Amino acid sequence: MIVAATLGVSDLVGFLGAHVADLTHNLAFGMDVALSFKNLGLCFLGCLIGTLIGVLPGIGPVATLTMLLPITFGLDPVGALIMLAGIYYGAQYGGSTTAILVNIPGEVTSVVTTLDGYQMARQGRAGAALGIAAIGSFFAGCVSTVIIAALALPLTNMALKFGPAEYFSLIVLGLLFAVVLARGSVMKAVAIILVGVLLSTVGTDLESTQLRLTFGWLQIADGFDVAVLAMGTFGVTEILRNLESVQSRGVVEGAIGRLLPNRGEIRQSTGPIVRGTLLGSVLGLLPGNGAVLGPFASYTLEKKLAKDPSRFGNGAIEGVAGPESANNAGAQTAFIPLLTLGIPPNAVMALMVGAMTLHGIQPGPDIINKQPDLFWGMIASMWIGNVMLLIINLPLIGLWVRFLKVPYRLMFPLIVLLCCIGIYSIKNSGVEVYMTAGFGLFGYALIKFGFEPAPLLLGFVLGELMEEKLRQALVLSRGSFLTFLERPLSATFVVLALVLVIAATLPAMRKSRDEVFQEPD
Amino acid sequence: MTLQAPGDGTPPAERGLVRSPHDLAGGLFLIAVAILGFAGGFDLSMGSLSEVGPGMLPKGVAALVGLFGIVLVARSMLFFGPGLERWAWRGPVFVLGSFVLFGLTIDPLGLACAGTLAVIFASLADPDTRPLEIIVFAIVITAVSIVLFKYLLGLPIPVFPFGYDPF
Repeated sequence: MIVAATLGVSDLVGFLGAHVADLTHNLAFGMDVALSFKNLGLCFLGCLIGTLIGVLPGIGPVATLTMLLPITFGLDPVGALIMLAGIYYGAQYGGSTTAILVNIPGEVTSVVTTLDGYQMARQGRAGAALGIAAIGSFFAGCVSTVIIAALALPLTNMALKFGPAEYFSLIVLGLLFAVVLARGSVMKAVAIILVGVLLSTVGTDLESTQLRLTFGWLQIADGFDVAVLAMGTFGVTEILRNLESVQSRGVVEGAIGRLLPNRGEIRQSTGPIVRGTLLGSVLGLLPGNGAVLGPFASYTLEKKLAKDPSRFGNGAIEGVAGPESANNAGAQTAFIPLLTLGIPPNAVMALMVGAMTLHGIQPGPDIINKQPDLFWGMIASMWIGNVMLLIINLPLIGLWVRFLKVPYRLMFPLIVLLCCIGIYSIKNSGVEVYMTAGFGLFGYALIKFGFEPAPLLLGFVLGELMEEKLRQALVLSRGSFLTFLERPLSATFVVLALVLVIAATLPAMRKSRDEVFQEPD
Repeated sequence: MTLQAPGDGTPPAERGLVRSPHDLAGGLFLIAVAILGFAGGFDLSMGSLSEVGPGMLPKGVAALVGLFGIVLVARSMLFFGPGLERWAWRGPVFVLGSFVLFGLTIDPLGLACAGTLAVIFASLADPDTRPLEIIVFAIVITAVSIVLFKYLLGLPIPVFPFGYDPF
């Protein structure tokens, strides 16, 4: 968003005129790639398996993706990324299903869905809730696919002009956004990002080839793998948390009800879906908790707009339609910073960087020109994935319900097994598996001390890039920090960062920040 | 979700110097991380601003982390806050233990043994686990994952002890 603002009006007008033809051409090219028999199959498989794992209560997209990463190893990069994207959407969608049917959010973004979704399910309207979630997500998916395709070229062109100073300032701005949008204490969020940056320095220093912070342990000479860190601090910690909480997991008994919402329900949901999509798309671009903020903001907005706000929390369909659309829109637009700038905005995208690196792809502005089939194929497959989710999920809801009835005492050992196999397969070594256990303990400690694991992962992935760019920038400027202020674009990012810090410390702003993250009641 | 220690309900006056044990623990944790980071990077040269050495970032960031730790500790003496959270032992011991077990046994013994063992060991994290049920379940899901990962997806994961492979 910020980046879009710096583009200038003339750029935008020119873009609208000449590039709409390009856009359709590129999308058609992408469709060509994505619609090949093999890629279509991989997209389908990814969505299906992603939903299957995502439906498991308490398993968010980060853990799901890490667990399923190895099944893409035998594929070519295009197919692998299409499948991974499918797994991601599947996991997102599966999380909503669990939120509606069991009242347990698979992850933070579906917390809001539990409020009215579960109430609808208890009233025998589970089908309508799941149906409107699917339809809203589909609409949001379509819109955000077009947004991604439209923003891709101008943002990439801008990113190609970036020097190290611009990159460094942008990353700092991004990390600050992540702090401001994080839940809980600002100070703890900053501290934990720094711990992530510190972790990123472990291993061989690329410039001097000296080993850093390895304590003589040669197994970490290449640094920690992002998948190991993510699996430990997200996957393992999620299991430990679930084992502790004594939530009753009441799967909704009885009728699911008709799957398609009736005409009245559709009419009630149209506005929330459109508004949720717009909110989610914009917030999804923001680093940190942007994608998480979407559903919360949408719920609050719909409640404010409603004639009778007391219906919310008692099974109002708008309370499912809006947040679910925002959720899906944000999940998709979060790809924009990753694909164009090479900067992952949140934990899931941080993991995507790891996945892409494993397949030999360096995320960043070069992808679009050097591997257009990969870029446009993936974007087109996002839209196809949304169609698939609609087709897969509605008929298979009965299956998901049966799946949800498996008791947790059997579910978590299964999850442990899948995690172990997944981590082992990354490097075919057992060392990574017990390293994961170590990070599991670390993540558990973080939670007990009141730190969120998401900023840690973000700091870890961006830390490496940040150090590289900082060192390059300082070499170019012969050690002068003024370089970050002398270059106009970099200076813009620095000023924005300062404004953000000042705004975040204003009492009024802090109050409203706390309000947004209050679980709406 | 948040399990709070029983001490949380005590009136502030009775807590003594530490007003927010939760912040104190978080601060000490950060200081520990900082010391570890600083120790690990101790020998690395800092370089100069125009030629940043390998030690600049690790040591600089570790120092910042430590600073945040100190501020948190100081805050814990000034402002009242929540008590410590209770740590469970059963979940961490068996779940983390099962990862370690899998990591140690997978290469020598193969997935057939390592997988079954890991599943059974992990299941002990839940007091409600049922012996017969979990043994059967462990064997079934291990067998399914062997077929799926080794034979359908072709991952190079050892299945039988000491590299033996009848197929």
